[in-house]
Amino acid sequence: MEPNITEEVYEVDKLVLLDCDKLKLTIEKSGFLTAEYNGKTYHRVDPTRLIPFRSKTTYISLSYETEEKEFREIGVIKDMAQLSPEQYELLDKYLEYKYYMPEITKVYSIRDNMRGAIFVKVDTTSGSKTICVHDWYQNFRMLSEDYLYVNDADGNKYFCKDIHKLDKKSLAVLEMFT
Amino acid sequence: MNLITKQPPEALEDIKYSLPFSFANDGESVDGVFTVAGDTIYIFADGKLEEKYKITDFKEFECRHQVGSSMAQGILHNDDVICFCAFTQEQFLRYAEVAKLLEHFIRTGEMITDTGADEPSCPKCGLPLNGAPECVFCQSKSSIMLRLIKLIGPYKKYFITALICTILWQLIWVFTPYLDRLIIDKYVSPRYEDWGGFITIVIAMVSMLLLAGIFEYFNMKNSFKTSLGIGRDLRQEVFTKSQELSMGSISKRTAGELINRVSGDVSKLEEFITANGKDAIVKIMQLFIIGTLLFVMDWKLALLTILPIPFVLMLVKKLYAVMSIRYTKVWKHSTHHSETLHDILNGIRVVKSYGSESREIERYGECSKKWARAVSRAEIMWYMTIPFSRFVLTIGNFLVLYFGGSMILDHEMSLGQLIQFTTYVAMLYEPINWMIELPRTFADASVSAGKVFEILDERSEVSDIQDPVDINIKGDIEFDDVYFGYKAYIPVLKGITCKINKGEMIGIVGHSGVGKSTMINLILRLYDCTQGEIRIDGVPIKNISQHSLRSQVGVVLQETFLFDGSVLDNIAYARPDAPFEEIVKAAKIANAHDFIVKLPDGYNTRVGNKGYQLSGGERQRIAIARALLHDPKIIILDEATASLDTQTEKQIQQALAKLTEGRTTIAIAHRLSTLSNADRLIVLDKGKLAEFGTHNELMKKGGVYYKLVMAQRQTTKMKKANTQPVEA
Repeated sequence: MEPNITEEVYEVDKLVLLDCDKLKLTIEKSGFLTAEYNGKTYHRVDPTRLIPFRSKTTYISLSYETEEKEFREIGVIKDMAQLSPEQYELLDKYLEYKYYMPEITKVYSIRDNMRGAIFVKVDTTSGSKTICVHDWYQNFRMLSEDYLYVNDADGNKYFCKDIHKLDKKSLAVLEMFT
Repeated sequence: MNLITKQPPEALEDIKYSLPFSFANDGESVDGVFTVAGDTIYIFADGKLEEKYKITDFKEFECRHQVGSSMAQGILHNDDVICFCAFTQEQFLRYAEVAKLLEHFIRTGEMITDTGADEPSCPKCGLPLNGAPECVFCQSKSSIMLRLIKLIGPYKKYFITALICTILWQLIWVFTPYLDRLIIDKYVSPRYEDWGGFITIVIAMVSMLLLAGIFEYFNMKNSFKTSLGIGRDLRQEVFTKSQELSMGSISKRTAGELINRVSGDVSKLEEFITANGKDAIVKIMQLFIIGTLLFVMDWKLALLTILPIPFVLMLVKKLYAVMSIRYTKVWKHSTHHSETLHDILNGIRVVKSYGSESREIERYGECSKKWARAVSRAEIMWYMTIPFSRFVLTIGNFLVLYFGGSMILDHEMSLGQLIQFTTYVAMLYEPINWMIELPRTFADASVSAGKVFEILDERSEVSDIQDPVDINIKGDIEFDDVYFGYKAYIPVLKGITCKINKGEMIGIVGHSGVGKSTMINLILRLYDCTQGEIRIDGVPIKNISQHSLRSQVGVVLQETFLFDGSVLDNIAYARPDAPFEEIVKAAKIANAHDFIVKLPDGYNTRVGNKGYQLSGGERQRIAIARALLHDPKIIILDEATASLDTQTEKQIQQALAKLTEGRTTIAIAHRLSTLSNADRLIVLDKGKLAEFGTHNELMKKGGVYYKLVMAQRQTTKMKKANTQPVEA
């Protein structure tokens, strides 16, 4: 595997907004991405949503690790919409899997075990399940007036973009805990 | 831990591990199975075999946490990385265990299928077990209330006295309506002027009232003794447990939250027990006795009385479910309020420096408003429901008055009898009203009880074995193939093997986040290594009692914490019974005595949060004096001079040199010049022990240490160049 071509000096204080026309992404067998930008090739690139709760497709950081395990940022994609459709689809699919978060579509019931844990029976975009939430006051919370964020006891994450768009019964159940 | 949770779609022989996964290595959603059979890894996706690998083609296996998913990867001998599959987080621990076992196979040729590792989560409720053999939530057979009742044990003498006094007091009140009936039926209604009899009854009533007062006095006295004693015991128990918990457990909670649990939650329980503890027994007895009397007097009227009760009890049951949730929200906001307050006040220096007082006022205001809103919602729910339930309950009273009145007019009942009956009805409704009020107080108290018992039930991750040994430490420390990660299966330290001899000064160097402080945390046994062994003088560290170990290890950290107290208290913290002369001697060796003498009250000068403000160097010298007084066998210096300027550091170095003389010393410093006195250096890189040797040996090697030194020298040269005056 070729080592990444490092810049002469890594300017840690410089924000590089990437020109999407010059960017090409492909998926490696390692599960990471390869990025070609401005004539340079970067391996094991890890895309990160900088503001994941605010936006899924804007401000995406592309970074890699040097041999000394040091963080190096190639740049930031300001808006994925500037990518070509194929590149958009590739990156979006990758991010959706990296940030895999089923959306909650219905809430049947929430049981509190009075010891800091709740058991939430829901329908999600990945099927019906009972989500166990430990320390629910930290891990079952509203990030804004509408956005519900859930982190279950295993570390799986779930969300509901707008709880007010759920059916009345689900909302009534949720309002007790939010 | 079960490592065959899904069978592969094809029949394979000698299956060792087989786990499901949800994503292919390109992020595509699949129904996949990762199987290890014999010495081969098979990847199946949607029923078809996609890939096959020989285990021995790889040198390393790892699981990599992403945000919503994780991936299982293998590193080939040529350093290429293969992503086998990706999966949702509930699979992480199993895949991590498989990765560990595959690495073991590569190293030893042995394929282990039964590791004895515990299941990651409870099969009943699904909550993580965190290494415990049983689920703490499912195993606890006693309900919270039963556990609260058991707290009464040490105070049962006072409790029983209070209970007996209350029962006697209640019996007096049950008898009083009978006297009312006698007065009305024998003297008032027939206008019978037998003053002797009348006065006798009046005297009897007054005497009973006096007796009731005496019983009430003893009741209150003993009730308070019981509840205050329980409160004190519970506070002590919760605080003691918080001290005994491991660093891993404590760091899960903020200081504000712990404070809330020790004081706020325990106070609520104390209040609950005072107000309701014995009342529960008395009210139930009252209900039974009065109910029996009513039925004996007139069963038809008694039935009318109890008619509304089932409806009220159904309403109460529903109310409890709702109230407990609302009070949980109140608790949540109250804890958040404590945390915010603690946060802002603790960081007041930062607030002032950035001039963000108004922003913090607004933040606190928001937080306080949310708490008030939660309390308001809980109370409003309560006050909307209660008047209605009380009205429903008292319908029985009106029915009794109507039909009872009719019976008087038909001469089936006397006026005195009706008055006695209605008095008993009012006395019957009293315990029922109490039961209606109960959901609110019970819900509030049981939330607090749950929080308190959550701490008391928590298992400490680091605990002494059955019979730990107390040893007189000489100072040999050995790391034997040690692995450790703060999160399960994400190792920070990998395969650390080294021996530190008694009396040596060892420097630990490496990039930020490489695991330097982690090594020290393991020597202090703030955490236990996940694999391998650490030995002190040949004795496994897990066999040494924590008290024995830590009483012989001295620590000087980068940020010195001084408790609220005098200079004397802070130095003597290491050994409270040390004679004053020894304390002064320690201060002198630490180069601290001279500045202490200049303080307004000498050694009695109050320092800490509310006291005299000392400089960083002065605080550090007090910390060194504290460590010296402790007379430890092993010294840990964790960036002890990092926050000091070079000049002050030189002053401290003298004190440190005296401290470390003849003692095994482990020092971490980013400034490599600080470790110039080190006998040998441990160089960590990517979590592994890259190099171990003297400064000269490592410089000759030209490896990681050499690069670190060169990088620091380059930085120093650049700084010097920048400060050179520019020629005109």
